[in-house]
Amino acid sequence: MKILLAAAALLVVTGCSSLGVQPWERDVLARPEMSLDANALDAAIDDHIYFSKEASSGGRGFGGGGCGCN
Amino acid sequence: MNDKLNLHAALAAATCALLGTPVAAPAADDASQRWSFDTSLLYYGESDDRVQDISAALSAQRDFDDDRKLSLNLTADTLTGASASGAISLDRAQTFTSPSGKATYSTPAGKVPLDDTFLDTRIALSGSWTQPLARLYTVSGGLGFSNEYDYTHLGANASLARDFNKRNTTLSFGVAYSQDDIKPVGGAPIPLSQMLDVGDLRNKRGDDSKDVLDLLLGFTQVLGRNTIVRVNYSYSDSSGYLNDPYKLLSVVDPVTGDTVTRVAAGGQGPDGVYRYENRPDSRTKQGIYAEMKHAFGARVWQLSYRFMTDDWGIDSNTLETRLRWPLGAANFIEPQLRYYTQSAADFYRSSLIAGQPLPEYASADFRLGEFDAVTLGIKFGHRTATGNEWSTRLEYYQQSGDVPGNQIVGRQAAREQYPDLSALIVQFGYRFGL
Repeated sequence: MKILLAAAALLVVTGCSSLGVQPWERDVLARPEMSLDANALDAAIDDHIYFSKEASSGGRGFGGGGCGCN
Repeated sequence: MNDKLNLHAALAAATCALLGTPVAAPAADDASQRWSFDTSLLYYGESDDRVQDISAALSAQRDFDDDRKLSLNLTADTLTGASASGAISLDRAQTFTSPSGKATYSTPAGKVPLDDTFLDTRIALSGSWTQPLARLYTVSGGLGFSNEYDYTHLGANASLARDFNKRNTTLSFGVAYSQDDIKPVGGAPIPLSQMLDVGDLRNKRGDDSKDVLDLLLGFTQVLGRNTIVRVNYSYSDSSGYLNDPYKLLSVVDPVTGDTVTRVAAGGQGPDGVYRYENRPDSRTKQGIYAEMKHAFGARVWQLSYRFMTDDWGIDSNTLETRLRWPLGAANFIEPQLRYYTQSAADFYRSSLIAGQPLPEYASADFRLGEFDAVTLGIKFGHRTATGNEWSTRLEYYQQSGDVPGNQIVGRQAAREQYPDLSALIVQFGYRFGL
């Protein structure tokens, strides 16, 4: 399993080496709204609501929870 | 601390002098050394006087030198209203013993039974610390705690991320562990035991607990100047008490489909046969989550998809999209759309048939049934002259499901068995720095 994961990681890292931008091309990605965690509080609130109303939870981060609501 | 700062400044100056670049004196009000706050006030209200929730959340972040970061979160929830108990609707009124075992409550004829003794206040606290570990490595650790009158959660998490490829690729690994204590009102019912009369607590046990282990493998990739993607694999293993202590199943006549009647001692108890649910004491979930953000000029489009599967037989698919659209320099509007669909747990059943052997596991909790849900939302945000931001978000959530046809018995077909759920969510947010 460990070897498989390491191989997958290596493949991903080498396979993606042709993708991406130079450091001076990060102007758009540096905008706050382009951050993948731009609205962490909204995301936490949504996760909490869906955790209490649906059978699946988490995925974006850890599984939510810590609540007797489900 | 000052010595340390001075040392950093001296080292930076020396390094820059060697490299022949000018060095800027560290400013006292450096934006990277400030507190920033994100606050929110939320109203969540379900139709038909079901669950209502008012929630206040505060998230504070302090940036320190060298990309070190402290994050603290506080949430307070107040829940009131009623939630579906799992019992089926009937053409007659129904009476149940409340979870405390001290009183009864009734449901009118034709209505899906709701337990209206639902009332809760929840306080949740969490904090995390993030810092670089070595060049290209970032480590993070956190603790969480929450408390309700019948539930206590304690959790810890840690994660490690490594950047590759000029920081265009990031791989991360995280682990979280939590230990939750459940103290059901009136005690945890013996699984599949029958609801008893008021004051009869022979089928109630004490408190219980559950443990949850979460693992998360993350991959983030910059695809181009305007596009970034993230893919996560998640694994979650829960063990211990996974029942909802307040959920019931009606025991029904195999021909009519109506709940079998019983006579309560002195009229103080249920007038039908109801049993408490039983779920397996372990659950393993796995999921793939993929997300993309793409900028079209000033507009930002976000698209995410999640597939989850677990050993209870529940598979779910979630698709969510948002488009942040600036209106002038200070305002933006962001429409949001989410679609969710899940299959039922293997042991989901809308009722138990009288005279048949009891199954090992059974639950009529609608959240374990088959349903679809749609969320439609819109957010409006405004940036003030001082750089703070306030926002308003309005969302409408609608769930609709069905009881499988082969589980409907006799007269149940003529009655609503899976009530649709709709909720209105209103959120006010204010983001500011100090």
